[in-house]
Amino acid sequence: MNSNSKATVVLVGFTVGFLVLQAAFLGDWWGKPRPLHEIAAVPPQFTNTATVRVSAKQLLASGGDTSGQDCYACHEKGKTPQVHIDKQGKVKLPSEHEDLVVHHGRNDRNNHCFNCHDPNNLDHFVTKNGSYLKLQEGTLLCASCHGPTFRDWEVGVHGRMSGFWNKANGDVTRQDCTSCHDPHAPAFPPVKPAPGPHPLRAEAVHVHSPDTKD
Amino acid sequence: MASGLAALAALAPLRELERFTSMDEFLQKHYKELSPDEMSKVLARIEDEVEQAYGQRPHVRDLKPMNGVEFVYALNLTRCVGCRKCVHACVAENNQSRTPEIQYIRVIKMPNGTFDLERGDHSYEPETVPEKGFYYMPVQCHQCRNPPCVRVCPVQATWQEPDGITVIDYNWCIGCRYCEAACPYWARRFNFTKPSLPKEQLNPNMAYLGNRPRKQGVVEKCHFCLQRTRAGRYPACLEVCPTGSRKFGNILDPQSEVAYILKNKRVFILKEEVGTLPRFFYYFDV
Repeated sequence: MNSNSKATVVLVGFTVGFLVLQAAFLGDWWGKPRPLHEIAAVPPQFTNTATVRVSAKQLLASGGDTSGQDCYACHEKGKTPQVHIDKQGKVKLPSEHEDLVVHHGRNDRNNHCFNCHDPNNLDHFVTKNGSYLKLQEGTLLCASCHGPTFRDWEVGVHGRMSGFWNKANGDVTRQDCTSCHDPHAPAFPPVKPAPGPHPLRAEAVHVHSPDTKD
Repeated sequence: MASGLAALAALAPLRELERFTSMDEFLQKHYKELSPDEMSKVLARIEDEVEQAYGQRPHVRDLKPMNGVEFVYALNLTRCVGCRKCVHACVAENNQSRTPEIQYIRVIKMPNGTFDLERGDHSYEPETVPEKGFYYMPVQCHQCRNPPCVRVCPVQATWQEPDGITVIDYNWCIGCRYCEAACPYWARRFNFTKPSLPKEQLNPNMAYLGNRPRKQGVVEKCHFCLQRTRAGRYPACLEVCPTGSRKFGNILDPQSEVAYILKNKRVFILKEEVGTLPRFFYYFDV
């Protein structure tokens, strides 16, 4: 073969090569991105700003069913109800109040009904220093023992304070104690968490740190 | 000639490029250089673009920082239960991509007794939270007083405003991700693909530097919900928190709850040794 025909072969080879490349680029022969799995929308409970409970004050304000707060529907006026203590020193609830779960204080040390409820006037509360509070004033009752927490709550540091941080633009909304804490079992209840993050890689690597149990 | 054709064909992926929606956007000046007239034209153009894409005309404002305000965030680690409601409230408020998922807040589950983030886990999914022996630490942009992300941006698409919020001009960002690399807290997120946001989940109350929908190839991050906070409201993550662990306010106001926290609680910051001086303080109550 002389050099002329060699040159022709090389040129033809390159031309064919480039035309193949052109077809490859135009036709997306490689490098197509993997389609992403549609990530399920999160259930609306996780963007809901409602509190976990409804306090007595909220219930009264909203005009809801307050029949559960009418003690004298069953109790007799003037007659002090008996609180039964079992052999281990624990408060035993009567069958009518069986739906209540009472775990107040470390080792249930504040479980006695009359630590908060006035035995002679059941639709009122009584604090340790003898002052009476209405059912809607539950926050002041909690404050009578939980002083530091109440001070934080007044400033807005305990519990959620929502609305406007700038008083010139609007008001803040502070929640009552019982909007979050069940007064008979005040520990904040465990909740179901929202799903974890979905990394971009389709084969997600679930990171196990040495301390997680799973 | 064939090589020229092949070279041209190699540019074929540009067919899918969507950055150039209009010449106006291409020629738009930096946010800081826009006159009020030009800004209102830009806002109207953005409202048109969003209406075309989502079928709903939003209200896009250019909210300026308030005088005498410096925002600070405080997070109570005794109260955080790790429910991740803040993550999703943020996503709902700020028009982030759902697939692929962009979330500004990452909650890290830490074992009690350590701040070693190497032992943290962010993909926990138990039946209920909190789990015994662990505490939960949500991390988002700390709006640092000495921000490394602002220093490394080659085009000054990100800067810190007088009220402390580090903002991004999404139309100026070139997507180099230097800021994402510089941030010690992994606060910044990059749009690798075209963000997908279902039409019915659009939040039409937008701000130019805040929660307007972003494009592919642009960096975004928590901006303390400036469309809400510069109008005097609390951010979305705070409004949804069921235990009230999140506290936000103006540190220059001595009556604010964040001033009370910094005076009375045992606050600490993350990665103090890198010197970013964050405006995000964690504390324990008991």
